[in-house]
Formats: sequence, C-alpha cells, structure tokens
Amino acid sequence: MAASRKAAVLLKTVKKITVQFCPFESNVRSTREFLAMVGSEKARASNMNCEVIPVVKHDKSEPLVDIMYTDGERLLMKGANLTSGEMLSAFQARCIAKDPQAKAGLK
Amino acid sequence: MAATLCVKLPLKQGWLPLTQCIRHGSKAVTRHKRPMHFLKKKLLAVTEYIPPKPVAAPGAYPSQTERVQEDNGLVLLMKRDLRNLFQDCKMVAVLQNNSISADDMIMLRHRLLKYGITVKFFPNQVMRSFLSDSVYYNMVPLFVGPTVLFVSKEPKVKEMLTTLRTSPQMTLLGACVDHTLLSAQGIASYSKLPSVTVVQGELVSGLTMLTSRTAGMLQHHPAHLSALLQQYVKQQSPDSNTEAASKAEEAT
Repeated sequence: MAASRKAAVLLKTVKKITVQFCPFESNVRSTREFLAMVGSEKARASNMNCEVIPVVKHDKSEPLVDIMYTDGERLLMKGANLTSGEMLSAFQARCIAKDPQAKAGLK
Repeated sequence: MAATLCVKLPLKQGWLPLTQCIRHGSKAVTRHKRPMHFLKKKLLAVTEYIPPKPVAAPGAYPSQTERVQEDNGLVLLMKRDLRNLFQDCKMVAVLQNNSISADDMIMLRHRLLKYGITVKFFPNQVMRSFLSDSVYYNMVPLFVGPTVLFVSKEPKVKEMLTTLRTSPQMTLLGACVDHTLLSAQGIASYSKLPSVTVVQGELVSGLTMLTSRTAGMLQHHPAHLSALLQQYVKQQSPDSNTEAASKAEEAT
C-alpha cells in the first residue's frame, strides 16, 4: 500500500484499537486490510501497550473501527464505503496531530 | 490606403450611403492565419464534415469477450490438493493472521500438530476459483487478505480454540465442520456442545423416562401399588368417593 510505504503506522498515542466486522459480508475488504496494516509487526513495535482487538461477528452489521486514544478521544470509522488507504490516512493524520514529537521528527 | 478606400459616391435617391471606411488591415490572403470572424468560426464548427466510420472486416480485430485464462500446472495441483482436503478433512477453519512472527508461528504449529491439526497456506485467487466451482461457494467472501487454513480429519474445535487463545494475532473468521459452514460464534457454541454419546444417552433417557417410571412402580410391592392406585382414585373424583372406593375394593 502506498500509504504504509510513506510512513510506518505510529501507535504511540493510541490506547486501543477495536476492529469489528462480519467476514461473510462483501464490504469488509477495506476493514480487513486496515486491520492487517495496523496489526503488523512494525506498527505493534511502535507501541507495545496498544491493543489491537479484532471482533468477528455474524449479524450483517457494518464494519467498524473504534480507536481509543491515550487522551480519551475516540475515532470511529465506518469502513463499509471507505478504502483502506483513506482510513489509514485519516488515522495517521490524527495520530500525527496528537503527537507533537513525531511532528517535529518528520519536519 | 485608408484614404484611397474612403470613397464617397454621389447620394442619389434610394441609394445607400456607400462610405465604407475600412481601417487598414491585412488582405484577404495572408501568410499568417487571418483571424476569422466569430460568427464565421461558429458556422464552420457547426457544419464540419464528419466522415462515416469504415466498418472493420469481420475477424480483423480480436473479439471483445473475456478469454478465461487456463490454469497452469501449479494451480491444477493446488486445486487437486484442495479437493482431497475438503473430502478427507472434517474440519476446515479459516483465519486471518495479522503478521504473526516466525517463532510464534512455529510454536502454534507445534501445538496444533499435537491434536492432529495441520496449517495450510493457499493463494487467495486459487482458493476463490476452486470454491466458486464447488459446493462451498459461500466461503468465498472469507478469503480476503492474509488467510491461513487449519485443517484436521477430526473436528477438534475446543482444542483449536484453546490453542488460539495464546496467540492474539490470529483471528478466527469461520469454519466448515462436517460440511456445515459455521461462523465464529457458531464455532464457539459447537465447542461447548457435549459429545455425541452423551447427547444420545440424554435423548434415550428422556424418551424412556415415563416408561421406566411405570415399570418401576409395577415392580414395587403390590400392596404399595394398590395403595397408590387408591390414593390416585380418591384424588381423581372427590365427589363420587364411595363409588370409586367400591370399584377399587373390587379390583383388589
């Protein structure tokens, strides 16, 4: 993915990521890709305290990504009509905005 | 030049004034492209010639219908493998691995092999094309992204779940157990089911409960039985008490 090649997913400011989806639906591709990218070794290595919890359901519900930040903010992403790149860029933008150290490092 | 073109003709009756003062511009035929009047441009654009398209000879171009790519040898081999797998193995579970590390994978494989569960990797494309042709076409949407197959001859669901509890990176998506497609919750409830013998025993005992009770009562001492029957009769008809009591006495 182009988005992950640019910058590794930084999870420093994230407390918990819950990804829930129903695998028998056809609109879960982007959510599953997002899960694979966020649950990768590099991402997990950036913050060992962050938990990535996938929840597998079977009730035809929408795929949902719930991100809990360390300062209490929550980011809800409904992945039914989003691509994984969009979700990742939105998530990364929020993370970078929250983490001024990373911002300074990039600049 | 402008002065020479300013011609003044005598104004006769009914004649339009012919004082055409044309500023000095380029001539009609110039080396550069003379800017056309806008209206003329519009007219020419509208009335452009559109030549008719020549029809291609039949067979000149390849047909637009998609040609299905024939499977190469490796794919055929994998499909044969899959067919045998689905025939032999009673349990086929599909999981998504979010980049499990190599040594964790080895540990997991070792633990699963103890219960007879093998770990298989197949490319998604091959899997999808095989499943869409077979009976298991409802499993096709499961195979998106990094997937792993856990197959075993016996449906050892409980052991699999306990082993997977140690590795959080593997997400159970679904399984096909005894030719029945199960979701994640289905697998959990399947694991909680008692074994077949236990269930059969429970069913048999439930069906024969009544008859066994009757048999037990009949095998009691006959005095006990007659007392029971008398009590039953009394309870049944409290109004016609004497009638029932006499009938009971005749019976005994």
